[in-house]
Parts: sequence; structure tokens; C-alpha cells
Amino acid sequence: MTDKPTVLVPIQVLEGESIPEGVPELLANASVVVLGYHVVPEQTATGQARLQFEERALGRLDEFETILENAGASVETQLVFTHDEQQTIDRVSVEHGCLAVLVPNATSPPENVFVAIRGTVGLDRLVRVVAGLFAGTDIGVTLYHLVAEDESDEDVRTLLDGVVARLTEAGMDPDSIDLQIERDRTPQDAIVAAADEFDALVVGESDPSLVTFVFGMRVAQVAEWFLGPVLVIQRERPQEDDLGRSKD
Amino acid sequence: MQSVSEDVTVHDDDVELERTIGLVGGLAIGIGTMIGAGIFVFPGLAAGNAGPAAALSFAIGGVIALLVALPASELATAMPRSGGGYYFVSRTMGTAYGSIVGLGLWLGLVFASAFYLVGLGHYVAAVLAEVGVALSVSPVVPLGLVFGVGLVGLSVAGTENTTKLQNLVVGILLVILTLFLSYGTLDTVGVFGRETTPETFFPQGYFPVLSTAALVFTSYLGFAQVATVAGDIQRPSRNLPLAMVGSVVVVTVFYVLTIFVATSVYGATQLEEFGETAMVEVAREFVGLPGAVAILFAGLLATFSSANASILSASRTVYALSRDALLPQKASEINLRYGTPHVALLAAGVPILLLVATGRVQVLAEVASFLHLLMYGLICIAVIVLRRRDPAWYDPSYRMPGSPLLPAVGAIASFGLVAFMQPASIVIGILVMMLSYLWYRYYAQAVELKGAL
Repeated sequence: MTDKPTVLVPIQVLEGESIPEGVPELLANASVVVLGYHVVPEQTATGQARLQFEERALGRLDEFETILENAGASVETQLVFTHDEQQTIDRVSVEHGCLAVLVPNATSPPENVFVAIRGTVGLDRLVRVVAGLFAGTDIGVTLYHLVAEDESDEDVRTLLDGVVARLTEAGMDPDSIDLQIERDRTPQDAIVAAADEFDALVVGESDPSLVTFVFGMRVAQVAEWFLGPVLVIQRERPQEDDLGRSKD
Repeated sequence: MQSVSEDVTVHDDDVELERTIGLVGGLAIGIGTMIGAGIFVFPGLAAGNAGPAAALSFAIGGVIALLVALPASELATAMPRSGGGYYFVSRTMGTAYGSIVGLGLWLGLVFASAFYLVGLGHYVAAVLAEVGVALSVSPVVPLGLVFGVGLVGLSVAGTENTTKLQNLVVGILLVILTLFLSYGTLDTVGVFGRETTPETFFPQGYFPVLSTAALVFTSYLGFAQVATVAGDIQRPSRNLPLAMVGSVVVVTVFYVLTIFVATSVYGATQLEEFGETAMVEVAREFVGLPGAVAILFAGLLATFSSANASILSASRTVYALSRDALLPQKASEINLRYGTPHVALLAAGVPILLLVATGRVQVLAEVASFLHLLMYGLICIAVIVLRRRDPAWYDPSYRMPGSPLLPAVGAIASFGLVAFMQPASIVIGILVMMLSYLWYRYYAQAVELKGAL
């Protein structure tokens, strides 16, 4: 059994958002950080919103915690009042060392997960998340690669075989891993097609923020096309010391 | 229990308040609030009162503002909370002083907002005149009212992105002003061959220099608004002092240069006749219509953003008072539909409109300054008190130099400047103080402030 991967689940806690269907099962093996946040307009002090809404928001977070724990996950919760959604998600993700951030959409009980493999960058974290969540479960994964023009078949083979080997090493059953290789397709087509067949999507992050380019486009866009839950693997952050300076 | 870290204020139970304004945003709040008044409203009035020596009046104002910005920075790094000066004074000197300063700050910002709105009205009226719309009555006050209603309405019902917009507005303003003042300064010293007729520096004697300093001090109220949103500033220990001191230094330089340039182009009496929009005529003299249009545009932006920032600060102050139970809890209530503090915004907006209707620029400006100067003086005293008593919680990451001498000078200068105002302004200011004290006796005497000394 691998370590439980830490996954951030950001929920706009006072906007009626909840833990969507299927997500507790998807994250049953995760260490989940539920980030309940509330975006207040700039003319409102965050403390002012806290006075009025804290109790209700904490009540909701407790419900979410119970739902996720009942599915098997270990759960931490955090409530933030903010003027800037993106900054809050990024900060909490880094502070809790999250490997992935979930874009919470509903799904049927997950059976098959679509994993987009772009290249070798960030593979280590991707393997930890995928194996950590799905090893030893009935959930199968499909590794998907969209071939770039300058890539040979051999390159692709080496890349995907490498991923399979590492997932297997991390405890996954090789029979539960499928491969899918395509070329001459737009990423949008690929995602929309996958939406019919798969229950969740795992993609890598290529920029420091969640709303950024995967497959060369914004995560929000991907989530919209896919409709189901999307796990965005977070890039490795440079370690920072107390003074906010980068160590490397 | 609360603790403050670089990006976030942490309360118990894992509840956090995100800090979202960086150094640039903090500077933009300070500069953006201040520059509207000093450059786009006062030069004509100030030059009329004191002649070219009005530059000295602005310099005096800048020095006093700096003397207050230093202790305010020290206090803000020790207590980076919403409410700014009110919070510092109330926690150091107790509920009575806190009430007078807090209610005074709220009303001071109300007077300041009304002043900016009237200034904005002058600029819109000047634009109308420029495009040839002739009106039989002065449209200044009606325009100020319309914009006042519009801004309050926007704050209640809209989701503002003021911080990002503010950065942009201030950036544009600084570019326009830098170009304008560089050209004007070079021209004045004779690079382009202009013959300037040097006026007497003190045409009216020395006293008007000080009374003008008292009048134009409204141009320096913005740095304290940085402290009003201290709870939103990232890395407060570094950014709060930099934003407050930095914005005071920047605007002082701009103000002094503006007066220098303006008074070398036109005589003091001429500038006084031009009134609130004198800078438009100065720019027209330099580069013709394009210059006038650029300064009109800049003046609209500047007075608009100053008015907006002051209204929001007034509403923040109402929240801070209500949080401490010095005003009814109801005042900090948030509108469920828009997520905005509608009661607090109206508590700012309604009196602002009443004051705009008076249209009295000078009195509005002076009362705003009076009420702020009262708080500034007490901020200086608060530093001396806290340094002496040294309570366990007082751990500022920035410590101002020269205590207790400099804060003492700051306090004396702040209180002293009030003496040079018009009698009407002093009377109104004292009335507001007395009403605040009565409110304290009637409503808030039993209030014990959390975290007070």
C-alpha cells in the first residue's frame, strides 16, 4: 500500500456547492483537504463576512468531512474568506503539500479513469496520485497520450511503458491499466470523447495555478468539456524558507 | 485567539482570512486616494491664498504626513487589522478616545468623500464646458450628487474589482503627471525659451502659508486608508510601512512640483479665478488642447478613484466600529444577495450626499482634515504610550526612529495645524467630537474592547 496522496477539494461552501456524487468513492484512498471558501466582494471586509457566515460554513464543512470519512478517506478541513479565489486555492494547496487539486464535478460511481500523459515532467507525482488512489480498488485507469508531430512511435512506447512499470511497482494491478494512443486529433475532441466513456480525468498542471494550461488549454475549459471530476496534478513548488525566499 | 501571518489572518477552528493586496496595491490605494485632491482640486485655491509659497504649504503638509506615517506604520505592523487608526487608538487609549476617533474617522471620511465628489463635479462640468454644453446654472453640485448615488449604488450592488482597477488608474495618472510635470519644469527653468515673470514668493505674507497648509492637508489623508485595509495587506510587516511612507513621499514630490509649475505659468490671482480646474488651463498653456484634454481626463480619473476609495474606507470604518459594538451590530450586516455591507455603505453614502449638496469645497476639505488630524495626533501619542508601557502583545516588526521626540513633534504638528483652519471648520470639527463623545456616554460606555491595553 502506498502513502495516501493528499488531494485538495475546493468547495464554495456558501454558494450551495457540495461534495458531488461519485467524488467520495473516487477519493476513498486519499488524504483529503477540504477547502471551504467564500469569495467576498472587495467592498466587504473578509472579517465582516466571517462574523456573519462562519457558523453556517463550518456546519457545512463538518457534513462534508463526515461524507468523505464514511467513504474511507482521511480528512482535514479549512475555511477561508477571501477576495481572490485563485490565490486561496494555490496557497492552501502549497501549505498542505497537496499532490492534486480536484475540480469537483459529479460522476457515477467511478469505474474507469482517464489519465492524460503529456511527457516525463511531473510523472513522479502523477504516479503517486494514480497508484495511491486506485491501487487495490476496482477502478481501472486508461493512460492516454496524444502524439505530437515530432514524436516517434518508439518514444511514445517508451514513455507509456515506463509509466505502467512505475504504477505497477507502486502497487497497481497491470491488468487494470489500459493504454490509448492517438494522433491527429484536437485535445478538445479527445476530452469530449473521453467524457462519454470515463468517470474521472487526471491531468497534469503546467503552470503554477489551477486555472491554467493542460493539453495547452485552461483547466476550467477542460473541466467544462469533460463535465466529470478532474484531478489536476500540482507542479512541484520550490521550497521556500521563512523569509519567502526560494531555496533552490 | 488570532494570529497574523504573511498571507493570512488565522482565527481558531482553522478559519482563515486571505490577504490579497500586495505592495503595489497598497501604494496604489495611498497614492490614488491622495493625488486626486492635491493636484486636481487644490492648486488654484492654494495659489490664490498663498501665491507661489503654496508649494511650501504642500511641503509642510507632506512633512506632517510623514511624521504621522512613521508611527502609523509601527502601529500597523503591530496590529494589522481593519480599522487602521481607529483600531490603534482604541486599543491603546480605551473606549472613550476610541469612540471619538472612530466616529470621527467615519465622518472624516464622509467629509473627504463629499469633497472629492464636488471636485469630480467640477471636472465633469469642465468637460461639458469644453465640448460646448452651456448651462444656465452651475452643474457641479448636481453632478457630484449623481456620481455619489452612482458610486454608492455600485458598491452595494456590484462586484467591484477596485484593487486591480485602482492599480491601473494610478499607473495612468502617474504617467500623465510625470510627462506633464517634466515638461512644465523644464519649460519653467527656461529650456524651451519661455520668459517667466517671477512673482514674489510670499505675496500674502507668511501666515497664509500655514493656513493653506491646513486647507490642503486633505491631499494627505490617503496614506491612513492603507491602514484601514491593513487586514487585507500581504506581508504586512514589510508592505504596510513601505506603502504608507512611500505614497506620502511620492505625492509630496508631485504636489510641490505642480504648484511650482502652475505658479510660474500663471499669476496667483489668475489661478484662483480658474478655481478647482486650474491645472487644465496650465496644461492648455503648455501644449494646447491635447494638454487640456489629458489633464481633464486625468482629473476625472483621479477624483473618481479618490471618491470611490474614501466611500469604501468609510464603510470599512463603520464595520470596525460595529465589530467592537461601538455602533449597532446591524451596521456590519452583509447583504445576502450581493455579499456587500449595504448598511455600512449607506451609513457612509447618505451623509456624503447631504454634504455634497452644500458644495462647499474648502469647508468640506478642512473638516475632513480636522477629524483626521485629531486621529493622527493620537496615533503619535499612542506610539509613545505603547513604547513606555511595553505590553506583552506589542511587538511591531517596524520600529520608527527617534521616539519619543519625533512622534511628539508629529502630535504637536497635527494638533497645531488645526489652529490655522477657518473658524467654521473648527466649529464643525469640535461639534463632531462632542457628538462622538456624547454617543460614547449614551451608547458605548460599557463596551470593553477586546485586546485593549
